[in-house]
Amino acid sequence: MKNIAKLKPNRRNFIKASMATSAALLSSTSLGQETILEPSRGPGRTIMEMGYYGDRSEYATEARLKGNRGTGLVGGSLTPLQNMQGMITPSGLHFEVHHSGVPDIDPSEHKLIVHGLVGDEKVFTMEDLMRFPAKSHFHFLECAGNGMGEWMSPRGQNVQQTHGLTSCSQWTGVPLKIILNELGVRGDAKWILAEGDDGARMARSIPMWKAMDDAILAYAQNGEFLRPEQGFPLRLLVPGFEGNMNVKWLHRIEVSDTPWWTHHEVTEYADPRPDDKIRAFSFIMEGRSVITSPSAGMKLNGPGFYEISGLAWSGAGTVKQVQISTDKGDSWTDAQLEAPVLPKCHTRFRMPWTWNGQETTIMSRSTDDTGYTQPTYSEMYKLQGPIGMMHNNAIQNWHIAQDGEITNVRS
Amino acid sequence: MFARNTKIVITLAAVAASISISAIYKATAAEKYGFGRSLGEAEIARYDSDIHTNGKGLPSGSGNVELGRETFALQCALCHGENLEGVPQMGARSMHEGRRDIEKLPYASSLFDFIRRSMPLTDPGSLSSEETYGLVAYLLNETGVTDNPNLTLDAKSLADIKMPNRSNFIIDPASRFTAEDLEDK
Repeated sequence: MKNIAKLKPNRRNFIKASMATSAALLSSTSLGQETILEPSRGPGRTIMEMGYYGDRSEYATEARLKGNRGTGLVGGSLTPLQNMQGMITPSGLHFEVHHSGVPDIDPSEHKLIVHGLVGDEKVFTMEDLMRFPAKSHFHFLECAGNGMGEWMSPRGQNVQQTHGLTSCSQWTGVPLKIILNELGVRGDAKWILAEGDDGARMARSIPMWKAMDDAILAYAQNGEFLRPEQGFPLRLLVPGFEGNMNVKWLHRIEVSDTPWWTHHEVTEYADPRPDDKIRAFSFIMEGRSVITSPSAGMKLNGPGFYEISGLAWSGAGTVKQVQISTDKGDSWTDAQLEAPVLPKCHTRFRMPWTWNGQETTIMSRSTDDTGYTQPTYSEMYKLQGPIGMMHNNAIQNWHIAQDGEITNVRS
Repeated sequence: MFARNTKIVITLAAVAASISISAIYKATAAEKYGFGRSLGEAEIARYDSDIHTNGKGLPSGSGNVELGRETFALQCALCHGENLEGVPQMGARSMHEGRRDIEKLPYASSLFDFIRRSMPLTDPGSLSSEETYGLVAYLLNETGVTDNPNLTLDAKSLADIKMPNRSNFIIDPASRFTAEDLEDK
């Protein structure tokens, strides 16, 4: 029985057999002898030993990096972008930020209240919401503070620390406009307040035009219900807008003619400028890209071929072009954008490269379909003051030393 | 589905042609799924705790600087520091400078709303209306927005406060709103 299994022409055995054959051919003394197959690994775990919810291999150890302020109730985690492949972030590695811990909400008790300048003021259960027509869309989600620590000088040791507050998922839920149309919005309504059911009752003002455009009341992420840290059982998704506005554990929407100027929109998420003005309501996460491989913390293993790969995204539209420089910004070459290239979504880019073994700096810059090109740090410093580190979408440089060590540098 | 879309498109075109863009939102509510339960005023009031910039939503009652000082010492100083300097180990930053500078807030309502909705961190929602009014009075006085040790705030007086930094807020044009749109009415 064991011999039959051994000879079964599956791919693994074929490769092993080929390798054994090659080895045999190389050592000419074995010429003409019968090929000896490497012993099989034998049977693996039974289905009874496998979990009902799949676990990853014990050898796959990529993980979020946690950070917190003091008590840990205000905290977050960063996505290991250096380990990510393609454009989707696994739900378990999606970044998070929360302002009063992660609440534990029973979906059978969760309600969404919609009131204010609407014809009908109503409460919806999760069951009610899931009866409405749904949509699934791929979108990135990025914290406005992604890269805030980099603002004055390069500090992050790797791309997780410099850029890990962005992730990308397929989100499923009810388009918010369906709910608002259902209730009938008054003509003078210009804003909604989205409020979470966490301890902080996190609240943000969202323009009505966005609510009626592509906002989603999302209950699912990557094909399954939201993770608790992503807002289970219900979150607002406002594609392309700063992460904080995608209110989690959503339980109330109020419709009004004016914005609320809530704490978050006038303090943490407003942008102080060099002229002492404060830019408010800067919702859109503008075009940005970063090379994720090779990137800081990695080491090139000698001269030769390397694929340069990374992520580009824009909250204003679709990535049109990513250019890469491997000579400190002197010359730029178009990278290939890997399909699908979707609006307000991570886009994977790739470019073949042969390293000649000389010290250099590599970087990427993106352009979206509005014509916006990712700025340099010196361009950004003109727009934002020393504490204006939100919405930092500047070009990221990775320095490659002669020994192949890669580090985070400014120029 | 086809019929539904056609109807919406026709309605949209008619409204856009005749009135204004904002009216579109209303006009599309032609057909209803009927899910969800209608809410009465009393039920909404249980959840509707936010404060608008014009003071709408502010509760009855009042509080003065002295009550605010006592409440701050008991409920806030552990994290925010006795002099609002912030205790980094507790995660709180100074309320005198940078992004948390109370003096720079555009509206006193932003402060009242946040204290009421999110503070204290370990027991949000536990402060009375009087304590919250008192805290706002105390914080405005401590940060120099007002200079009146006897300041007492209630719904009307809080809404009347003009924050000195209001005019320094500029509006990102990508929000599709202008400073004029958001002027106080």
